[in-house]
Amino acid sequence: MAMIEITINDQKIQAKAGQTVLEAATDAGVDIPTLCHHPALTNWGACRICLVEIEKQRTLQPACTFPVTGGMVVHTESPACVESRKFVLELLFSERNHYCMYCQMSGDCELQDLAYRYGLDSWKYPRPYDSMPVDASREYFVLDHNRCILCRRCVRACAEIAANHTLGVRERGASSMISADLNAPFGESTCVSCGTCIQVCPTGALIDRKSAYMGREKDVEHVQTTCFACSLGCAVDVVSRTNHMLRIESVWDAEPSYGLLCVAGRFEPLHDLRPRVETPLVKKNGQLVEASWDEALDAAAAGLKQAGGIGALVTPRATNETFVAVTKSFQNAGLTHSAPLPDLPADAVLADVEHADLVVLAGADVMEDHRVVGGYIKRALDRGARLAIIGDEDNGLAEYATLVSPEARHAVNMALEASQPVVIYGADTATKAADLLRVLASRARFLPLVVGTNAVGAAQVGLDGTFPAAQGLYVLLGDGQANGRVAAAAAGAEFLVVQASYASPLTERADVVLPSPIWAEQSGHLTNLEGKIRRVEAAIAAPDGVPAAPATLQALAGRL
Amino acid sequence: MAKIKVASDWLAACAGCHMSLLDIDERILTLLEYVDLDATPITDLKHPNPDGVDVGILSGAVNNTTNKAVTEQMRERCQILIALGDCAVFGGIVTMRNLSGTEEALRRAYIESESTVDGKIPSSPELGRAIETRAVDQVVPVDVYLPGCPPSADAIWFVLTELLAGRKPELEGENLKYD
Repeated sequence: MAMIEITINDQKIQAKAGQTVLEAATDAGVDIPTLCHHPALTNWGACRICLVEIEKQRTLQPACTFPVTGGMVVHTESPACVESRKFVLELLFSERNHYCMYCQMSGDCELQDLAYRYGLDSWKYPRPYDSMPVDASREYFVLDHNRCILCRRCVRACAEIAANHTLGVRERGASSMISADLNAPFGESTCVSCGTCIQVCPTGALIDRKSAYMGREKDVEHVQTTCFACSLGCAVDVVSRTNHMLRIESVWDAEPSYGLLCVAGRFEPLHDLRPRVETPLVKKNGQLVEASWDEALDAAAAGLKQAGGIGALVTPRATNETFVAVTKSFQNAGLTHSAPLPDLPADAVLADVEHADLVVLAGADVMEDHRVVGGYIKRALDRGARLAIIGDEDNGLAEYATLVSPEARHAVNMALEASQPVVIYGADTATKAADLLRVLASRARFLPLVVGTNAVGAAQVGLDGTFPAAQGLYVLLGDGQANGRVAAAAAGAEFLVVQASYASPLTERADVVLPSPIWAEQSGHLTNLEGKIRRVEAAIAAPDGVPAAPATLQALAGRL
Repeated sequence: MAKIKVASDWLAACAGCHMSLLDIDERILTLLEYVDLDATPITDLKHPNPDGVDVGILSGAVNNTTNKAVTEQMRERCQILIALGDCAVFGGIVTMRNLSGTEEALRRAYIESESTVDGKIPSSPELGRAIETRAVDQVVPVDVYLPGCPPSADAIWFVLTELLAGRKPELEGENLKYD
């Protein structure tokens, strides 16, 4: 890339051609304040906080949108810049309710930080007295227009990251308001609760219900781990305080989804109200009673041995390390949940989807099971790609599709003419359709929508759906939910050991119950649908005395 | 050198700013070497010396006619007026009343509140009358602003010692907080 020399604050620096003044300054370690700019979003130039003085320019220019040119001389903190920034801040503070003392973002607010940086000890202009609406119609978050500075980060995040285009701006000038759809209540809008808008909001206008007022940045801990909601395994940043999960955020620069999460990854894990199993339980006279780990493990081993024929079912919501421990401990083991995919290639990564010119979606409703994949498909459509669905009109993406047909041949014909087709296939792909899609093996990339969080990792150690009946049954359910298959196996077993994070009808049935960590309490690895190993890091500690799943398995195996 | 005369008062406030002033702890003894405390909520004298004081400190917002009179008297009788705390500087939490309107707030408080039977809005001529909530500088000119809810004892100490040294305090870092 061509380098050009520019001068910032009397310092000569090398900038890349095509960079903005802000990017060049940031690379050179010069801090230009910003507010509407966000590294994950396109530049907008809305807030005018980043105005800098560029010699030979008639007026101050926004650093975030102004491209560098050779020999350019820039001053970022000249008296004119500072004066204009204070003016912009004065106007922002005068426009709506920016009384920090009862705002949940106080301490972490980008607007407040700038006011401190530029020494705003009072407000020049009249205070806002008009009360604006607070839209609390969504389950997981609130939109408080009183705190909004109209920077449009949320609008851009909704369009560019989520490709959902729910948020926009209505009215003009001082009447401008962030609006969902055509001024619908947020809760009745097309919003899919991906939560990206909350994460980019610089002020307290978008409020996460769960973590509001629960701790400032200085009070909380961040741990980067992997989401367990589906087999995509998005990178997540778990925010916690005193061992309580407050919030889950996305990680902008991390595979596979680069900052996009879905409602199942960002919000649902924090709203799980099932009661925890915290101590081992052993059934005595028909009642489950608390027991020590040794007692429970002894009882489990004795019962399993006595039953004759031991088998294990393990949730796909477990780490690779747990699967290895399962296969070492039990010869006869399988997965609690399993849905085999057709025999098709698996060579795409999620990022390929965005750059496809044709997406063929077969046998899956991604808006139900792999919503982030759905977001990436919509991003591809925004770039001009077409979507062909092999399925029916009930598909969550049907309204976006050029073609919806249960017959695969139309979609295959489209793919034969496309330059960068990507085939995304799920467990409901018909055999006939799979046979036709196989023709595209050399032309298209294939992304398998694996069912079960870490089913790929399980398959790699030989754990799959096959499971012969056994009289002594050990179910490692973890934080998963029991399905019909597990219930049937449990009903047929003479002796049942359940290791689970939460109490459920299955634990009620069990002869021995062992506690289990939840996803955020585990460390290890999982293998996502791209076939990539993802690191799992314990973000919070399991309840006292609850060991990691592999350790429990080892202790049990030692007694068998 | 003659001691500097300081008066203070609180308007529509929670007393937190004056608590924070007391939080300068033993430094108050040093302060008293240079300063005479005139009328303050601490000395319980109600009006600043009619002959005038050097520094007047007001905390709280102006939300009734009494507060307005107190503010105007303080301004008349002091050389340098300090607005202490978010309510005095910006209007603060007290301005939440403006969001519903003064009449609506009075009706809610004195008539509609759950514990009230046959309530009425106080209207004795001896009482101040509620008015729209304002910051101090929307009523009289202010010379020094010290925001914070409350401002820290260190920030208060900084402002007072800067003034004693003959400088206008420039707030930055930990001394400039809105919460």
